[in-house]
Amino acid sequence: MSLAEPAALRVATSAAPRLDVLRRFTTRFKASLRAYLLLLPSLVFLALFTYGAMGRVLVDALYQRATPKAPVRFVGLDNVSAVLADPAFTGAVVNNLVYAAGTTIPSIALALLFALTLARTHAVSSALRAALFLPVLIPMVAASALFMFIFLPNVGLLDYYIGRLLPVLPNWLGDPDIALYAIMIITIWKNAGYYMLFFLAGLQAVPEDVMEAAHLDGAGPYQRLRHIILPELKPTFLFVTVIAILNAVTQVDHVFVMTQGGPSNATNLVLFYIYQQAVEHYDVGKASAATLLTLAALMGLTALSFRTMANREGGP
Amino acid sequence: MLFSRRLMLGLAMAGSFASALAFPALAGEGPTEIDLFFPVPVDGKLARDMGTLIKEFNDGHPDIKATAVYTGSYDDTLIKTRAAIKAGKPPSAVIMSANFLLDMQIENELTNLDALIKADGTTKDQFLGQFFPALQGNAVINRSVYGVPFHNSTPLLYINADKAKEAGLDPEKPPQTWAELTDWAKKLTKREGDKVTQWGIAIPCAYDYCGWMMETLTMSNGGRYYNEEFGGEVYYDTPSMLGALTWWNDLIYKHKVHTPGATPGPAVSTSFISGNAAMMMLSTGSLTYVRDNAKFNYKVAFIPRNVRNAVPIGGASLIIPAGLEAEKQKASWTLIKWMTSPEKSGWWSRATGYFAPNMAAYKTPDMVDFLNKNPDAKTAVEQLDVAKPWFATYKTVPVRKNLEDEVMLVLNGKKQPKEALAAAQKAADETLKPYNAETSLKLP
Repeated sequence: MSLAEPAALRVATSAAPRLDVLRRFTTRFKASLRAYLLLLPSLVFLALFTYGAMGRVLVDALYQRATPKAPVRFVGLDNVSAVLADPAFTGAVVNNLVYAAGTTIPSIALALLFALTLARTHAVSSALRAALFLPVLIPMVAASALFMFIFLPNVGLLDYYIGRLLPVLPNWLGDPDIALYAIMIITIWKNAGYYMLFFLAGLQAVPEDVMEAAHLDGAGPYQRLRHIILPELKPTFLFVTVIAILNAVTQVDHVFVMTQGGPSNATNLVLFYIYQQAVEHYDVGKASAATLLTLAALMGLTALSFRTMANREGGP
Repeated sequence: MLFSRRLMLGLAMAGSFASALAFPALAGEGPTEIDLFFPVPVDGKLARDMGTLIKEFNDGHPDIKATAVYTGSYDDTLIKTRAAIKAGKPPSAVIMSANFLLDMQIENELTNLDALIKADGTTKDQFLGQFFPALQGNAVINRSVYGVPFHNSTPLLYINADKAKEAGLDPEKPPQTWAELTDWAKKLTKREGDKVTQWGIAIPCAYDYCGWMMETLTMSNGGRYYNEEFGGEVYYDTPSMLGALTWWNDLIYKHKVHTPGATPGPAVSTSFISGNAAMMMLSTGSLTYVRDNAKFNYKVAFIPRNVRNAVPIGGASLIIPAGLEAEKQKASWTLIKWMTSPEKSGWWSRATGYFAPNMAAYKTPDMVDFLNKNPDAKTAVEQLDVAKPWFATYKTVPVRKNLEDEVMLVLNGKKQPKEALAAAQKAADETLKPYNAETSLKLP
C-alpha cells in the first residue's frame, strides 16, 4: 500500500473539487492501478494460501456429520458450542494462558536484563550476545529433542546434576504438575535471546544527551533506569509483548515432539488441541470451529496492539 | 518492488516445477507408475533399506515403476494418506500402522483385497495361511481382507543378566509370573536410604505406548481390552484391567521398584542401557537398539503372566487406499505380494529388527543362520504363538487416549485405579457413541 498512497494523494489534491465522485474514483483507481498490478502476485498467493484457507475453515466450521457414515450437513454454530463445551478445549485454553503468562513475563524480563548488561559494544559483550542469541538459531524441533535428553528421568543431564541434592527425582515430562513448566523453560531459554535484540535496538534510541543531563544532575543508575530508559523503551515493550503472546499461541513444536499434550492433557495447548481434533478425532468441523475461535482471539489481540502502537510515536 | 520480483521468480519456478511434474503423466505408454507411502517409526536407517528394496523391485518388474515416499511417523502417514485421498490422488500403497485399518475401513478409505486375491486363483484362507495367525486379526475386517502384514512386533521382557547374577538370580530362568517378576524387581532395586539408585523394572507410558502396555498387562491378566469382533466396545472398567493397573500402581507405590510417573519409551530404553533400570518391558522393535548399545549381557523373555500368557501384536500392514484406478491397483498388488514374500520379508526383518510376518521366511537359509547367531530374536518369534490382535476400534487413537490419560494420573499417584478406569470407560463410551448409534444401537 505504501507504493499506492503517494500517487493517489497527488491526484486527489490536484483534481478539481467539483468533479463527480465516480470520476474521481476512476482517476484515483487508474493512478494506483500500477501499484495494484505490482501487488497482484502477492495478492494471488495470499488469496490462495491465506484468505482461501480461512474461508474454507469458516465453511467447514459450519458442517458436521451425525454418525460416521452419515453425510455432512449444515449445523450452524453447533461445532463452536461443542468446542466450548469440551473440557479438553477449556483445559487447553487454561494451559495456554498459564503458558503465555509464564513464558512472556520471564523471557521479557531476562531479555531486558541481558540487553541492559550488554548494551555497550566491546569484544566480551559481543561474544556474550552471540552466545545468548544462539538458542534462537536452533530449530525448535531440534531443541526439543535435545531437551528430551536433558529431562530424561533418573539418567538425564538435569537429574544427573541435581540428583545428588534431591531425595526423590522429579519426572520432568511425566508428571502432570511439572510437565507444563518444563515446556515453559525451553520456550524462555529459546526466546529470551531473540527479544534481547529488540531491547538492544531500543536502547540505541535512548537519547544520549538526556542520559548525560541526568548524569550531571546526579541521578543514580536506578533513577536513570526508572525515569529515562524504561519510559523510552515503552514502544519496544509493547511490540515484544505482542510478539511473545503470538509465539505462545503459534509455537507448539516442542509439545508435538516432547509430550504430545500429555501426561493427562497437562501440556495440551490450543493449537495442539486443534491438531488432535483434525487428525486423531478426524473431526474437521470441530477442528475448524476451534481454529476460528483461536483466529478471532489472535486477530483481536493484533488489532488492539496495532491501535495502541499507532497511538504512540515511533514504534520499532 | 523487490518483493514482487521475488514472487514473479517464484511463480516462474512454480510453473516450471508443475510442468515438470505433469510431464511424466502425459508420457502415457510407459510403465505403470505407483507410489508407496512408508513411515519410519524407529530410526533413519530404515529409509535407506526401503530404497534398496524398491530398486530391486523395479529392476525385476520393467512394466511397473514404484516410488517410495517417506511420510514420517505412523500418525503422520495416516494424516498424509487421508489428505491425499481427500485431494483425489490416493497413493497406490501404504505401510499403515496395523490398528488404524479398522478406523479407515469404517471411513471407506480402504480397498477390499478379496477380489485381488480371488483373481490370483487363491482362496482367502490360502492367502492368509502364509502369515502367523496372530497377525490376521488386524488384517481381516468383517471377514474381508483389507491389509497384508508387513512388519510386526510384540512386547518383550528385557533383563540385565549381569545385574540379575549380582542379585543372586538366574537369568537363564527368567520370571514367568507376575509374582516372580515382582520378586525379581524387589531384589534388583538398590537403595541408599530413601533414594533409589537402581530401579527393578521400567514400563513405558506415553501416548501410544501406554495403551499398548495396558493391553499387554490386561491380556496377561486374562482380559481382552476391546471387542475383537466389533469396533464399538472397549473393556476398560473390568476386573482384568483393574488387576493390571493395580499391579502397575503397586510396583510404583507399594513395592517401590518402578519409577513414579509416566515414562516415555526412549527414556525407558536409555534407563535400561545405562543400568539405571535392571529390567524393562519394551517392543521387539527395540531389540536391534539394545543389541547394538548394551555394554552388558542381556536376556529377553516372554511377558510374565498372572492368568495366562498373552500379548498384543504391534507393527504395520500394507494397504491399498480406496479410489485407485484398476491398473494401478493391480500394479500395487504385485508390489505388495513381492514385498511380503518369504525372501523379502526375511530380508526386511533382518535389516530392521521387526519379525517377518510370513512364516515361510523363517525356513529360508539366511533366516536360519541369523536366528542361530541371535537367539534373542527367536524368543520374539516364539512369543507369537500366544500373541493376539492389537486393539482397533472406531476412532482408535482418541479411544486409546481416553484410557491413557487416566492411567497417567494413576502412575503419578493422583488417582486410584478403580476410579480412573471408571472414568476412562465413561470417556471411551462417549467417544464410541456415534458409531454405536449407527450400528449396535440402530434398531428396527
